[in-house]
Amino acid sequence: MTAYIIRRLGLALVVMFGVSVFTFLLTVIVPSNPAMRWVGPHAKLEQIEKAKIELGLDKPVHIRYFKYIASFLRGDWGVSIRTHQPVLKDIATYLPASLELIIFGMLLGFVAGIPLGIASAVRDGTMVDHGSRVFSIMGVALPTFWLGMILQLVFFKQLGLFPLAGRVAMMTRFTAPIEHITGFYLFDSLITGNFTAFGSALSHIVLPGITLAAYPLGLSARMTRATMLEVLGEDYIRTARACGFRERRILSVYALRNAIGPVITVGALTFAYSLVETFLIESVFTWPGLGQYASKAILSVDYPAIMGVTLLIAFTYVVLNLLVDLTQAFLDPRIRLG
Amino acid sequence: MLQKNGRVSWHGVVGLSVLLSILLACVTIVSAAEPQVGVYVNSSEVVVYWDPSEGFSNEVIVMNNLYETLVRYDSVTGEFTPVLATSYESSADGLTWTFNLRKGVKFHTGGEMDAEAVKFSIDRTIAGEKGAFYIWDSVESIEAKDKYTVVFHLSYPAPLDIAASAAYCAHIFDPDFSDRDWFYEGNDSGTGPYTIESNEGNTLVILKKFDNYWGGWEGKHFDKVVFQWVPEEGTRRLMVESGEADFTNRLAASGLEALRGVPGVEIVSVPSFQNLLALLNTAKSADEPTGNPLVRKALSYALPYDDVIEGVMGGYARQSRGVVPFGLWGYSDKVKQYTFSPETAKVLLEQAGYPDGGFKVVLTYVAGDENERRTAELWKAELAKLGVELEIRGMPWEAQIDLGAAADPNDRQDIFLFYWWPDYADPHSFLSAMFETQPILFNFSYYSNPVFDALINAAKEKALFDRQAATDMYVEAQNMLMADAAGVAIYDMSSMRAKRTSLKGYVDNPAYTHVVFWYDCYREE
Repeated sequence: MTAYIIRRLGLALVVMFGVSVFTFLLTVIVPSNPAMRWVGPHAKLEQIEKAKIELGLDKPVHIRYFKYIASFLRGDWGVSIRTHQPVLKDIATYLPASLELIIFGMLLGFVAGIPLGIASAVRDGTMVDHGSRVFSIMGVALPTFWLGMILQLVFFKQLGLFPLAGRVAMMTRFTAPIEHITGFYLFDSLITGNFTAFGSALSHIVLPGITLAAYPLGLSARMTRATMLEVLGEDYIRTARACGFRERRILSVYALRNAIGPVITVGALTFAYSLVETFLIESVFTWPGLGQYASKAILSVDYPAIMGVTLLIAFTYVVLNLLVDLTQAFLDPRIRLG
Repeated sequence: MLQKNGRVSWHGVVGLSVLLSILLACVTIVSAAEPQVGVYVNSSEVVVYWDPSEGFSNEVIVMNNLYETLVRYDSVTGEFTPVLATSYESSADGLTWTFNLRKGVKFHTGGEMDAEAVKFSIDRTIAGEKGAFYIWDSVESIEAKDKYTVVFHLSYPAPLDIAASAAYCAHIFDPDFSDRDWFYEGNDSGTGPYTIESNEGNTLVILKKFDNYWGGWEGKHFDKVVFQWVPEEGTRRLMVESGEADFTNRLAASGLEALRGVPGVEIVSVPSFQNLLALLNTAKSADEPTGNPLVRKALSYALPYDDVIEGVMGGYARQSRGVVPFGLWGYSDKVKQYTFSPETAKVLLEQAGYPDGGFKVVLTYVAGDENERRTAELWKAELAKLGVELEIRGMPWEAQIDLGAAADPNDRQDIFLFYWWPDYADPHSFLSAMFETQPILFNFSYYSNPVFDALINAAKEKALFDRQAATDMYVEAQNMLMADAAGVAIYDMSSMRAKRTSLKGYVDNPAYTHVVFWYDCYREE
């Protein structure tokens, strides 16, 4: 097990190295002039040249890369060309909003998707199954920005049930300001007993949360259905039924435990994917998260910010993959990691 | 109550929790009074440059509520209203300008605004050579004559009151709090009615009223102002419709029409000083199409102006006549206006040696700007009929200007779509920034004509005493540009904004593009 973990960590380092080189090269290849942006508008050529030296842009690409990586490993992720703030500080500002949305959306997606998949598998070929499959495929196939806008039109404009955009009502910011503890509004408002803000934050996260949940919901329902069908056909399930175990116990303990592995794998990878998917959702719902920060960084070719966000997402992918494999081994002893 | 037969009653627990929540919520609600909050939703980042000596972008909407200028210009009446200066006068020769400052004005940082602070602020902006610093081009030196009198000595006669009222780079700030990094951390040291309460990554900026504001807080005013970046136009429209926002700008014509007639919403559309130009690459070698003035003229005749104005802008624009927009002095019917004439374009192409077209030109625009893209598409369709291929490249702004500044002019784009609005309400701002010989900043037509340069600079010096003579010179300069077809002046835009009808006190002032002076506004249902 230890050898496996060490080997995986080694591979993870190789992946991170590859991502960092590739992203760095991309930011170099794309035509841009960070020094010009750094010094501000109408700067003179001498000022731009001075900024190039200040930012280290006068050095060869490989030197710049190694200097960047060395600083990165020391915890200095550079300074954003656009905001003039340390990238790490910027990410710490934006990340909690994205994580809160992703966690909420993922929970919503999986809590609804897995039972839907089970119901679909148990009632294979019935209307429940057909309905569930159509629903799941829609969840996976619908473009998120379109779904978000439709939800806004229906639930905000037509029905007036949920707010349009943002993380919390504007007036709540002034009448019941949220004490910043973790940056997760739901959590912070709840533990400080600020129920006005909690209610506002909860109502604001519903529509973007549903939009984000659509994909994991569809995916987990489809995966659960497929793996459950396979497991339910196994001999040991037939034996359990023959022994008179209750169906509920067979499904939830014997079948689901063996069927859930691939769903967890997909779930973890979907979590990392959601970090990217939120780019569009955050734009539609004006959600002040990492997606908005990253999209602005890309448009203004803010290379330290692009590098920081990309490496963070790559790191998340790598770590989650590793955790998934270890969890699978824990849940299913047949897997031999060595 | 919570126990039934010795077991916990969960109904009781839940019921009590709900009751407690409601009570706590009520406590929270009544514990804070509701302030009057104005909300401005913007289509892009609300602040780019936080340093008042560098301003040159969207931050104009925020900065003009944090900082103040010596005077403010009303571009409709042509009058100046006192702000930090209560009065001013110029010498007979126009070389000395004396401003008498308002007494008892406090900076947000605690100090008092005086002549030394004014001198420091403008000197710092001039020395920094960033943003719109060049509005102070005429200033030779600044003298703090006494605590409340500041004197500007000029190297040539110039209307300094226009510079002193500019939306950018004319703001006065506290000399003791003027570190660039400090500004970029989201701080301000102005004298304006509002000061920064919070900033979330330049996308959500909240201002609160400055209690010691010299204008006082009698009457109706907003306590706080929120500036929020909402990229989706549909979301911004819905926010105004629902009353979540009081004001939004930069709507597309279709978006503006969608809001027409919506209860509680008012469309704001008046002629602005913003125009769209297609800057043509005049620096290409003679064997390249746009290196040939005949080809550039043909391109000018091939643009379907009326289709663009009606089809793209929904009538919220008028065809430009020259580079100076309608409504700003320097605009004149005497400037040549190209019309859509494919026949003339065809003849010109024949004269240029391209009877069947057979060449390609590259046009760049800012990706995401639908008005620019659709204008380019209409142009492309007409050029295709002449055998000319127009390649349309949507690019991030930085990448667009980078290509525009490529070392070899032949490697640059042929056509650069470009908006301009004035740094200060003066035609020189348009003609100099885009067409004067200079290292490439915004001169993406690479036009270089010493006669033109001399003419616009002479006009600048005439502007103070002989506005008519200056206008004639600017007209002549614009006709030079049209004759050389250095750029295609496409349309002068009307402002395309929407506000709640309950927002009172707002005046659209083209000299301060996109700015709402929130202190003058209030809400009345």
